[in-house]
Amino acid sequence: MPGHAQGPDGDLIRLQGVSKTYRLGAVAVTGLVDVDLALRRERFSVVAGPSGSGKTTLLNLVGCIDRPDKGRIEVRGTDIAGLDDDRLSDFRARTIGYIFQGFNLVPVLSAFENVEQSLRIAGIAGKERRERTRAMLASVGLADKAAHKPDELSGGQRQRVAIARALVKEPALVLADEPTANLDSATGKQILDLMHDMQSRLKTSFVFSSHDPQLVERADDLVTIRDGRVVEVRRAA
Amino acid sequence: MAQILDLATRNVWRNRRRSLTTMVAVAVGALSIVLFGGFVANIFVGIETTMVKTAGHIHVYRNGYFLFGSGDPSGYGIARYRDVMRLIEQDAEMKPMLEVVTPRLQLSGIAGNFAENVSKTFLGVGLVPSDRERMIAWDAYKALVPVPSYGLDDARPEEAVVGVGMARMLHLCRALGGKNCPTPPAKAVAAQTQEGAALAALATAEGTAEGTADGKGAEQAPAGATARIDLLAATASGAPNAVPVTVIAAKSMGAKPLDESFVVMPIAQAQRLVYGRGEPRATAIVLQLKSTSMLPAARARLEALFKSEGLDLEVLDFAQLDPWYNQVRGMFTAIFGFIAALMAVIVLFTVVNTMSMAVVERTREIGTLRALGMRRGAIRRLFLAEGAVLGLIGASLGVGLALLLAWLVNGSGMTWTPPNNVEPVPLLVRAAGSPSLLALAWAGLAAVAVLSSLFPANRAARLEIVEALRHA
Repeated sequence: MPGHAQGPDGDLIRLQGVSKTYRLGAVAVTGLVDVDLALRRERFSVVAGPSGSGKTTLLNLVGCIDRPDKGRIEVRGTDIAGLDDDRLSDFRARTIGYIFQGFNLVPVLSAFENVEQSLRIAGIAGKERRERTRAMLASVGLADKAAHKPDELSGGQRQRVAIARALVKEPALVLADEPTANLDSATGKQILDLMHDMQSRLKTSFVFSSHDPQLVERADDLVTIRDGRVVEVRRAA
Repeated sequence: MAQILDLATRNVWRNRRRSLTTMVAVAVGALSIVLFGGFVANIFVGIETTMVKTAGHIHVYRNGYFLFGSGDPSGYGIARYRDVMRLIEQDAEMKPMLEVVTPRLQLSGIAGNFAENVSKTFLGVGLVPSDRERMIAWDAYKALVPVPSYGLDDARPEEAVVGVGMARMLHLCRALGGKNCPTPPAKAVAAQTQEGAALAALATAEGTAEGTADGKGAEQAPAGATARIDLLAATASGAPNAVPVTVIAAKSMGAKPLDESFVVMPIAQAQRLVYGRGEPRATAIVLQLKSTSMLPAARARLEALFKSEGLDLEVLDFAQLDPWYNQVRGMFTAIFGFIAALMAVIVLFTVVNTMSMAVVERTREIGTLRALGMRRGAIRRLFLAEGAVLGLIGASLGVGLALLLAWLVNGSGMTWTPPNNVEPVPLLVRAAGSPSLLALAWAGLAAVAVLSSLFPANRAARLEIVEALRHA
């Protein structure tokens, strides 16, 4: 896959001494406390932990949609602190795909256009963009639903569109925040199978946050987090 | 950009009712601006047309006449004015611009109906009746403003037309008849004075003495004329002079002071009164151009021409001659500006409200697009484009509707009588014929809509991604 570079020591993501605190009104809420973590490339990594433990904060920081109060984050060897807002946007557009718990599809766009939107933002031009979109929708089994708007699709189909949107730009990293939480277990399993299959085929690194035991079982690397601290990292061979 | 516009258009229709309400507000704004602007444009055109029909585009005066000479027509008359007219008419640059070149003589004095023992000061003008007929045919804007003919004839210099008020004062109504021209109560008619008789005697004597080239005097007035008056004025030499005229009609002049003092007659008769047997002059040479747009070029050429010929003449255009023209323009421009500003403010608040609600409702979507890598600038452009779509559709609807309403009004045959006018004029809305007005309303309100979107668009662009994604 093009552009799937890694850190100098082979890690795709490295966090060193990363802390993050949020303010909710007058209350300071701890997100992460002094986290050191490395995640390997081309793996199915899962960040697990109870609600409020800091899973989403970790994904937000790794996904470059938030900045740490302290510490250093490298994604694909790039220190994200050195990027201004526009460069960070461009970095996300090229490098990172997102799959959201609530799918977050743009309701006025068709399935095809939602997927294509990701390539537009990444600056991929006309013909190539349309061909890649078509191929990706076919890969997730939605070739016949391309013209459908999100509200004409089932939950599972919407999440497939979201997966296609995340993967169509061939990112180095796909982040998924509890991607099966809004799906019934059968659909959740189908979606997991699909993501696993795509990860194997595309060699993309996936990082999930999840409570879902189905997902935890499949993790190559499992990071357990509690009260904003990494308490365990279990790596499969 | 095409993609942003496409996305913006789709987003606009997400909340149809709100978007339609906003578009209707913009449309009403555009409609009001175009209809009122079209009405004002027609007023401007009507005033200009009336002025050009009656007074032409340009008056050429002896230098100083305009400021100091109206009370001294003999002192400020243009000598050899026919030569000056020929000079203008034969100039190669002026020729293609000219519609009418005609002399006028402004005068004042006393008008008396001595058979009825009444007299009154008058303001008079001597003109060439056939030239005036040509002038009142001018209608470059198709304004359909009626300017009635005086009914005078070059060949009958002893005839005159007076204001209805003047006819009333001089007890001419019985002979002339007409609207607003009643005969006075009997006791007023009976009040004969010695002074009246003396003036009548003077008019007869002067008519014979200083007399006219064609030998006609007061006593030569048409036999059986019942509306004969005598006009008295001082000649160039300072001697009193009088000429008889036969009033053939009384015409309403609109403004009361003018209506009660106005006398118009062929220039030959006016020259007899002011210059007697001396060299006839004109106080003004009036130029009517084919188009008002030629005015600056014509002025410049005339000034150059007079300078090169060493003529002590000044050139004034119709707006300088009558300050009322610019005052009316100024007043209506101010009212139009006020209405346009009011509409812009209404559009501004409506669009700000709509776009602010859109930003709040789509906060999560904004976070998603930003997470996918869309820059802040693209988010800003997206919301600005939505404002532009609202503005452009609304303004287009408004302008289209205004054109339709203007067409209906223009075809309805409605009339109104503007201040100082005598005849009713068609109620017209010059919308289709005012491309700059249409462009102003359309582009102006679209621009206001875009500007109104700036604040919500900036707020959308500044949203923190994490906060936006957390939004319910």
